[in-house]
Amino acid sequence: MVDLLPHILNGLTLGLLFALIALGFTMIVGVMEIINLAHGSLFALGAYFALSMLGGSWFGDTAFGAWWLSLSVETRYVAALFVGPLLAAIAGMALELCLRPTYRKAPLYGLLLTFGAALVIEEIIRLGWGTGEQNLAIPSAINGPVLVAGFIYSKYKFFAAGFSLLAIVAVWLFLEKTPYGAIIKAGAHDSEMVRALGYDLSKLRLLVFGFGAALAGLAGIVMVPIWGLRPHVGVDVVIPAFLIIVMGGIGSFWGAVAAALMVGLAVGITGAYAGAWATMSMYILLIVVVGFRSRGLFGRKSVLEN
Amino acid sequence: MAFFAARNMHKRFGSRVVLEDISLAFEKGQVSGIMGPNGAGKTTCFHVLTGLHKPDRGTIELEGVSIAGLPPQRIARLGVSRSFQIMNLFDDSVVIENVMLALPEFRARRLDFLGGVFERGELVDAAMNVLEQVGLTHRAWERATSLSYGERRALEIGVALAAQPKILFLDEPTSGLGTEATRGLATLIGRLRERYTIVMIEHDMRFLFGLADKISVIHWGQVIAEGTPAELQANKWVRRSALGEAAGA
Amino acid sequence: MISLSDIPSRSTVRHWVPIAVLALALAFAPWWLPTVGLYQYLGIEITIWMIFALGFNLLFGYAGLHSFGHGAYLGIGAYAFGLFQQQVAVSLWGGLAAAIFAAGLAGAVVGAFISHRRGIYYALLTIAFGQVFWFTSMKLHGITGGEDGLLGIPRPPLTFFGLEFSLRDNLALFYLSAFCLLATVLILWRLVHSPFGRVLQALRQNETRARFAGYEVWRFKWAAFVISAMFAGLAGGLFSMAQQSAYPDVMSLHQSGLIVMMVLVGGGLVSFWGPVFGVILYFVTRDVLGGITETWLLWFGLMFMAMVILRPEGLAGMFHLAWNRLRGARAVSTPLTSEPDLAGRKT
Repeated sequence: MVDLLPHILNGLTLGLLFALIALGFTMIVGVMEIINLAHGSLFALGAYFALSMLGGSWFGDTAFGAWWLSLSVETRYVAALFVGPLLAAIAGMALELCLRPTYRKAPLYGLLLTFGAALVIEEIIRLGWGTGEQNLAIPSAINGPVLVAGFIYSKYKFFAAGFSLLAIVAVWLFLEKTPYGAIIKAGAHDSEMVRALGYDLSKLRLLVFGFGAALAGLAGIVMVPIWGLRPHVGVDVVIPAFLIIVMGGIGSFWGAVAAALMVGLAVGITGAYAGAWATMSMYILLIVVVGFRSRGLFGRKSVLEN
Repeated sequence: MAFFAARNMHKRFGSRVVLEDISLAFEKGQVSGIMGPNGAGKTTCFHVLTGLHKPDRGTIELEGVSIAGLPPQRIARLGVSRSFQIMNLFDDSVVIENVMLALPEFRARRLDFLGGVFERGELVDAAMNVLEQVGLTHRAWERATSLSYGERRALEIGVALAAQPKILFLDEPTSGLGTEATRGLATLIGRLRERYTIVMIEHDMRFLFGLADKISVIHWGQVIAEGTPAELQANKWVRRSALGEAAGA
Repeated sequence: MISLSDIPSRSTVRHWVPIAVLALALAFAPWWLPTVGLYQYLGIEITIWMIFALGFNLLFGYAGLHSFGHGAYLGIGAYAFGLFQQQVAVSLWGGLAAAIFAAGLAGAVVGAFISHRRGIYYALLTIAFGQVFWFTSMKLHGITGGEDGLLGIPRPPLTFFGLEFSLRDNLALFYLSAFCLLATVLILWRLVHSPFGRVLQALRQNETRARFAGYEVWRFKWAAFVISAMFAGLAGGLFSMAQQSAYPDVMSLHQSGLIVMMVLVGGGLVSFWGPVFGVILYFVTRDVLGGITETWLLWFGLMFMAMVILRPEGLAGMFHLAWNRLRGARAVSTPLTSEPDLAGRKT
């Protein structure tokens, strides 16, 4: 049983990161009623943007570049944690603009468009950053081993878990305590009502998309040392994100968090027994859950059923 | 024993009880009407009777055979056919195909991978026959989307007829029709009543009172009154709730 | 605008013209391909992908079921063919039969699972299953050769009534492949115009109404899935012969996405021939544009996105509009009042 502890910790960390991704995903689904198949790509973009920022490759051989690289890893990392998601948000908003013509059409077109976007973004990543596995330079303060309950664990994973938790709390505060958050929650519940109340629905959609994309991008950056970074990582993320919101219920904040933790744990524990097959456990889990109980844990009929 | 009888039907969605212990009986060869204010549960009643929803409790029988809880396609094959208030047509297909798909003789061929469809004279003739009954033969080869609203209503009924049903459920067939078209529909149903047992949900009182042999009034998920049009007009309950007023006058 | 649910005019000429054109183009390909700067192997690839795309469109366009993981069945067909040659017997027909059967079986299992679902659930399940197959083929090193793939797949000779033809030459394989394509076209053409095919199309248009007309909807969805998987398997078997190997990458989401893009761009949502146009466009882009820039796939993807927004009717739809415009205003203003022919169909 003790042997399971690191895997459980892994699972929880993964779960918290999944929660971050799922929250952005479920907000988009809730307010816009489309499944953003490109959500994983936004996750990947965040990570790749951070990679370039940290490494300074964008600044090339300029004086700025030189100055930039002279800064400590810590400073650059923190900066990347802000700028990466911001850039992902911009990409997300660009995607939303592309999606506009499809809103009045059958849901198929939005689906095809986000699917196409996912492939296009993956191709852009391949062309811009290469197809190989990449690494993100992380500050030594959060890197390295640490002794926990008699076994060696990764300091970074604690950081990742803690950071995700903070981010989740921040999102919750935003949704509960700010007026914008209230509008988003209302929009997730009933977008027609929100429009009737006089809010600009298109601006709301744009912002929600950007916000969701930022969350995905942030998760992407934090996830790199755990999951690795390669162009395909975007696809690997969309499946658990969807699985989580189906399990947790559309638009449900705590549903997403709870389901995310469950999925994370499932993947983490599978990792204990069948290493390489851990990723596949997500797909199996999706098949089992959606195959048998598509209404999720909270059983509400949702917009997805059309 | 009634031709089609539902007893003690109960249906709730979440915490809302939509049908409360409803019993209805329809006699063969008659036109039965169902009326009531919006939200009373009329359409849900149809949905339950035709299999879209399962009743929580109660029995539904067609000629003594229980159909409660069966999926809609099974119920349809047993001879129950319906039209929808929000029209459900095959929009990309031509009018004659819409009707053809509902023909039992077509359905019998549904696993035929290699045979033709429109080359078969007998299928085309049978479909044209149905179209004749609803007055759409002149539009047979047009796409369903290109029809006028009134024509689509007629097609909606035609598709329901094509199945050669034992009992035909029509959900607000006059919905959205103007006076002229409504008159036409009344004539159509007047012709159809000779061959089919019909049950209609309607808001148009004059239309319903003019055609129905018996009417059930549903309100708050219950049958609050039942009888012939004349009896209902005399019923002060019905009169009081603005329903009778409009038609009686 | 044309639609998949249009009724073919009975006039025999109109009916068979495209098929005859295709047959002729295929028959004379070895001669005209080089003149447009293309090569024999490309002909094989194109015919294989046309088989895959046409079978896929039965599901995607006609039945309206959006599968984003169909590459898996092509891959299964390829592996099945290869494994048959290696483990059972070196035989062309045996191998192809194994490919079709294996892919069909996989399709049957997956189909049974997903055919009760609709919309996004259906789509996501197809992705999940596709990924499961892809992942499995990468990990089952012992059987599939893992990431390195199944290598050394032979091209068994074609035996026909005692005559034997070697398929080692690309030209010969091309003709086999072209023959399979023609067979595919004929079978699918009859199928979509049969009662079964019309029911599939009815499902796409209005599942509720189809149900109320007495059809067991999920069985038809299942059948469409299995049939399209079988054609994918056939394509896969031919593919493994062409490459003489089988790799997991055809099962990836990337490849599965390619077929979706080809079919839509070509006009599979409105025309039987859409997939054919889409495959041609893809390969021309790959080889011609690819010769100019490395980013050709990106452009193809962007074009796909643009067409989803602006021209979902694809190339076939655009050709149809252009054709109507050429024939003059009369044709455009109304397919509705044209005179029906003897059998009562609009011409």
